Amino acid sequence: MSEPVLRTERLTKRFGGLTAVDDLSISLAGGRVHAIIGPNGAGKTTFFNLVTGLLGPDSGRIFFRGRDITGCRPHVISRLGIKRTLQVKSVFPELNVADNLWITRQARHRFLHPFRSAARDPETKLRVEQTLEQIGLADLAARPAGTLSYGDVAMLEIGMALISEPSLLLLDEPTCGMSPAETSRAVAKIRDLARTIDIVIIEHDMDVVFGIADDITVLAQGAILASGSPAAIAGDERVREAYLGRPEDEDFMEEALHA
Amino acid sequence: MRDTVLLLAMNGLIWGLIIALIALGLSVIFGLLDIINIAHGDFFMVGTVLAWFSLSATGNFWIGFIVAPLIGFIIGAIIQRLVIQPIHGVAALSIVATFGLSLILQETVRITFGATPRRILAPIQGTVPLFGVEYEIYRLFAAAVSLAALAAFFLFLQHTKLGIWMRAVRHDRETAVAMGIPAQRVYVLTFGVGFALAAFGGAVAAPITTVDFRGGVDVLPFCFMAVIIGGLGNLPGTVAAAVLLAFLEGMIQSVADPTVARISSLVLMSAVLLLRPQGLFKGLAK
Amino acid sequence: MTRRSLEIGMAAGAAAFLIAVPWLIPALTDHFWVSVITEILIWSLFAASANLLFGYVGLLSFGQALYFGFGMYGVALGIDHFGLSFWPAFGLGITSAMAMALVSGVFAVRLSWHYFAIITVVFSLIFYFLAVSMKPLTGGDDGINFSLPPVFRMGRTVFSLTDPTFQYFFVLVVVSLCFFLMYRLINSPLGKGFLAIRDNDLRASLIGLNVYVLRLIAFVMAGFLAGVSGALFAFFGRYASASYMFYQVSGEAVVWTIVGGAGTMFGPLVGTTLFIVIREIVSSHWEHHSLIVGLLAILAVIFAPKGIVGLWNGWMIRLDERDAATSAPPRLTLQAKP
Repeated sequence: MSEPVLRTERLTKRFGGLTAVDDLSISLAGGRVHAIIGPNGAGKTTFFNLVTGLLGPDSGRIFFRGRDITGCRPHVISRLGIKRTLQVKSVFPELNVADNLWITRQARHRFLHPFRSAARDPETKLRVEQTLEQIGLADLAARPAGTLSYGDVAMLEIGMALISEPSLLLLDEPTCGMSPAETSRAVAKIRDLARTIDIVIIEHDMDVVFGIADDITVLAQGAILASGSPAAIAGDERVREAYLGRPEDEDFMEEALHA
Repeated sequence: MRDTVLLLAMNGLIWGLIIALIALGLSVIFGLLDIINIAHGDFFMVGTVLAWFSLSATGNFWIGFIVAPLIGFIIGAIIQRLVIQPIHGVAALSIVATFGLSLILQETVRITFGATPRRILAPIQGTVPLFGVEYEIYRLFAAAVSLAALAAFFLFLQHTKLGIWMRAVRHDRETAVAMGIPAQRVYVLTFGVGFALAAFGGAVAAPITTVDFRGGVDVLPFCFMAVIIGGLGNLPGTVAAAVLLAFLEGMIQSVADPTVARISSLVLMSAVLLLRPQGLFKGLAK
Repeated sequence: MTRRSLEIGMAAGAAAFLIAVPWLIPALTDHFWVSVITEILIWSLFAASANLLFGYVGLLSFGQALYFGFGMYGVALGIDHFGLSFWPAFGLGITSAMAMALVSGVFAVRLSWHYFAIITVVFSLIFYFLAVSMKPLTGGDDGINFSLPPVFRMGRTVFSLTDPTFQYFFVLVVVSLCFFLMYRLINSPLGKGFLAIRDNDLRASLIGLNVYVLRLIAFVMAGFLAGVSGALFAFFGRYASASYMFYQVSGEAVVWTIVGGAGTMFGPLVGTTLFIVIREIVSSHWEHHSLIVGLLAILAVIFAPKGIVGLWNGWMIRLDERDAATSAPPRLTLQAKP
């Protein structure tokens, strides 16, 4: 059994009296798409924040392909190959779409040249053009990213994730706020990416989850409630209980069970 | 020598109480509206000028204690409505706006009041022996008035509708709005309250300092020091820090010159900003 | 008429004007305006230092006067106290400004932006008071006057430093060089990194940019610009005073930048020109020109928050869009900042 892509050992994070992540020991194998689901406040985004270095854990360790990354700063973790999208779509609003991709690509270099013209880097320029094609935003290349529609911003974020050639991609509710059409587009892209990149995705949309995920981990109150294949999760009583009070999810669970 | 130390220490303490009023105004504006108010020293200066004008118009000094904060409140509210509100509180722009405001206030005073500094005679003359030193009665009186005003302000915050609204909006704006508190109106009134506090401090301080259109320039950094060292949003902390700083500066002045005192306060402020940005008096906050 | 050709035309016109100033101005009006324009150039470089930090990196510094002061005193004390000649004094001014920027930046840049703005003021105040207290050396608020060796050598050519025409061209060349460096910087990979941090520093760190180091680099570069302007100021007034390190001076630079247009190349130049010209014209008739400055600042932030150049860019973009609607689909271009 090869080294898991992402592994945590007894990861804990508290905010005042609230324990957001509670003694979490999770192990995610490579080559599969993992979904992390759970009711609000279950600690999912906090988990991502810990992995990407935006927060420091109170105790526990985090390993990325066997390498201890606990306590590393965000840009260091990013350079190791972990990239993520944010729950609230977040790009560089005053830069145009092409430049958003451009700077994402350039950020992997340790040294940014202060005086050479940015336009002159042919390799990056090519990659930007390719990525624009891939995400279908080529005609919006010169528009400031802040003027894009929500769905396009989400695609841009995915494009930025793509162009940075991540080794592990963390997607935080990528389809949140999207129309059904935009959602299918995004799901197709993610499936595409999954062929070459390890992906962990936080989602509330059960259709998406059951459509993409190979493994599902359910978090509740900062700890693992259940984990396993989609079928196992759909049939798990405890999981359904955790989702009580969220009728729309319960319906989906019903459907998934009988799918 | 001992006399001088005592004198300077007491002066420091008293000045600290007066400044605490002014700094409180800044703390309220900064803490609630998120605005770095560069004109705040000039709010104080306007208070001293209003005191001077009401004295020369009516011959009665005490009227200034009412006129200054009242007019200050009105001007503050108008400023918030006309200048601050349109820029939707975009913080960087509001700094420029308050900078412009500072220039306008200083020049307006220069035009109406003139460029020469004037003095106001203390309404209560005479000294009283205190700890072996002859101490001016008015200064003691000013300290008492400031203490009373501070106490009144904290009571206001706790027990009046506006006070409670101000605390609610400061604490959690979204919930406050959801509960039906008119946030915009609170902002307008808050700015007015901030101006009024500074102007009142000016009226109280007028006989102790000079009335001069540049009088705000020195007060401003001091207020910011009190707010930062006391802790942003920590009103009692601001008061404690103001008194402490003024007292410390007074003490240092007994062995070195005033510039050194000011530099040491600034260094202390830098240390707080870098090492403990939530301020030194965290425990005092509610 | 496309946007690009219009802007190139304006730039060429402005350049021609600037080069012709020493002959054009005395022919049209008082010779005194040549020194005003020289002053405008120096102060616009100072405003540019605030612009680099605020407009391009998103750091509002209210304390650039500190580095201006180091540049100014570096030259003044270098010549007056240490007996240095022109270039070494210039070098001293610039390096001491950059060194100070590095030391203070290491601490300041760590802070979130409210506290950053405040601590930049605090640092500049500390040194202002230090300068005032060291009056024998610095002249305090009254300042010190010093004299320059009257002769400036470059290779085999000798110029008289007191010649206003030479002064003007020296300042013009230095300031233009600095603006050119800024232009290259903004369009470079590092420049794009700055913009990313300005737009969204969280995202910037997530894509791998070291936000702290990049901010520090920008801070030192801004210190360089402020230091150069301070050094030029000392050279051409032959005067240095602590009052130029006060926060009001820093504040003016920020106002000029924002009114001119923060985040644009020529914003600082436009803003500085506007305010200094107003000051010169108004103050000869009415002593309360600060009132106008204050009013303009407030009107600008309410009605034109992107500044004059920002407004212009807005109109130009609409012009562009009208052009684009009637021509071929847009090609992929990496956006170069004007």
